[in-house]
Amino acid sequence: MANDLPFIDPTRGGSKTQLARAPRPMDLAGMTVGLLDNTKEQADIILETIGTALREKYGVAEVIMRRKGYYSRPAPAELINDMANKVQVAIAAVGG
Amino acid sequence: MNPAIDEFQFFLEKEWSDGFPVVTPTDDRVRWMLQGTRRDPESIVGHVPPAGEVATVRDIAVHALMAGCKPEYLPVVLGAMQLILRDEFNMAGVQCTMHGVAPLMIVNGPYAQQIGLHGGNGCFGPGFRANATIGRAIRLLLMNLGAGLAGKASATVFATPLRYTACLTENVERTPWETLAVSRRYAQHENVITCAIVESPRLHFDDVSIEPQRLLRGIADSMTSTGSWNMWFSSDVVVAMSPQHAALCAKAGMTRAEVQKRLWELAERPQANLKQGGNWRPERARAMGIDPDDDDYPIKAVKDLERLHLIVAGGMGPITAICHGWNDSSRAVHGTYET
Repeated sequence: MANDLPFIDPTRGGSKTQLARAPRPMDLAGMTVGLLDNTKEQADIILETIGTALREKYGVAEVIMRRKGYYSRPAPAELINDMANKVQVAIAAVGG
Repeated sequence: MNPAIDEFQFFLEKEWSDGFPVVTPTDDRVRWMLQGTRRDPESIVGHVPPAGEVATVRDIAVHALMAGCKPEYLPVVLGAMQLILRDEFNMAGVQCTMHGVAPLMIVNGPYAQQIGLHGGNGCFGPGFRANATIGRAIRLLLMNLGAGLAGKASATVFATPLRYTACLTENVERTPWETLAVSRRYAQHENVITCAIVESPRLHFDDVSIEPQRLLRGIADSMTSTGSWNMWFSSDVVVAMSPQHAALCAKAGMTRAEVQKRLWELAERPQANLKQGGNWRPERARAMGIDPDDDDYPIKAVKDLERLHLIVAGGMGPITAICHGWNDSSRAVHGTYET
């Protein structure tokens, strides 16, 4: 990293680490999809519409809806872990 | 030393600065900066959201150095960092929001005077090393350890010039009142920082009023606006009266608390007025427990009197600066810091 530099790396070399994106499934049929409502106005309406379309048009087996506490605050780790354990694909939506 | 590296260019190309050159952090210079604190350089002050990188006393000294601080400014940077990482301040949200708000630091107490923090002419602007570099150090930490970079983790549409620096003190020589910190029951000798998430100041000119009621009615009007989030959320609002405006109230016998309360009372608009533009929505009215059809219902700019932060700052002249707030996921924080 920055050890060979004549000065200190102020970022500790870490804060901009690139994370690999999870692989995108090519087919949603039979999958469980999670929808995360960020609490902004109408996010629930947008997500419910998407959920219906996913079941009817793409053969999604089950849709699980979750809601954050407040849109400007990160979702708690328990909520993210719970969703990660139950779904194969998750969609976050903002309303507005 | 690697003679091929031009460190000034390197820091700019790496996005390790705010766009201006930084003081290159070397071990010697960081040791010099650490003379400003007795704290263990390896002790952890917190994790900077949203990236969550750890910030030790040493990391904060590195950034204070880069920003151009003197070692004697380091206690203020450490104290401010500790405060803005408190959960109720919700720096994670501020780092990511589309809004253009920033943590404004109001530093009260004798140490602010000792290190030359400025609260007089031009205190929101350039020319004052302590104001410029303490706020800049916080910003560099938020960028380098929190990754709050526009277009990346930050969805900010415009940001704000307050994201270069946002640190000042009050005009203690010319204020007719106690400081903000003393108004919150801190002792005069205590060194206190208050941080609130706000927009850039807008200036309210009044060179006409000769009594407080007209003056305060006008300032209160500037605190309200269609399109301002503080109409629809419980937000912090900072009002910085110039010594001249403050004196007009004080000469009429008003205390600081009375002015604060009067502004809080006056800063409202009937709901019908706010329907004419901006971010009024029936859902937002309902979320505040207000009937969206009640056109006469007065919507307050500041929901909670304690969230109206009144200070006296700036030079002589008939102006008050008003900083609108953000949303109810953040609450202003205040506390003492070690010198």
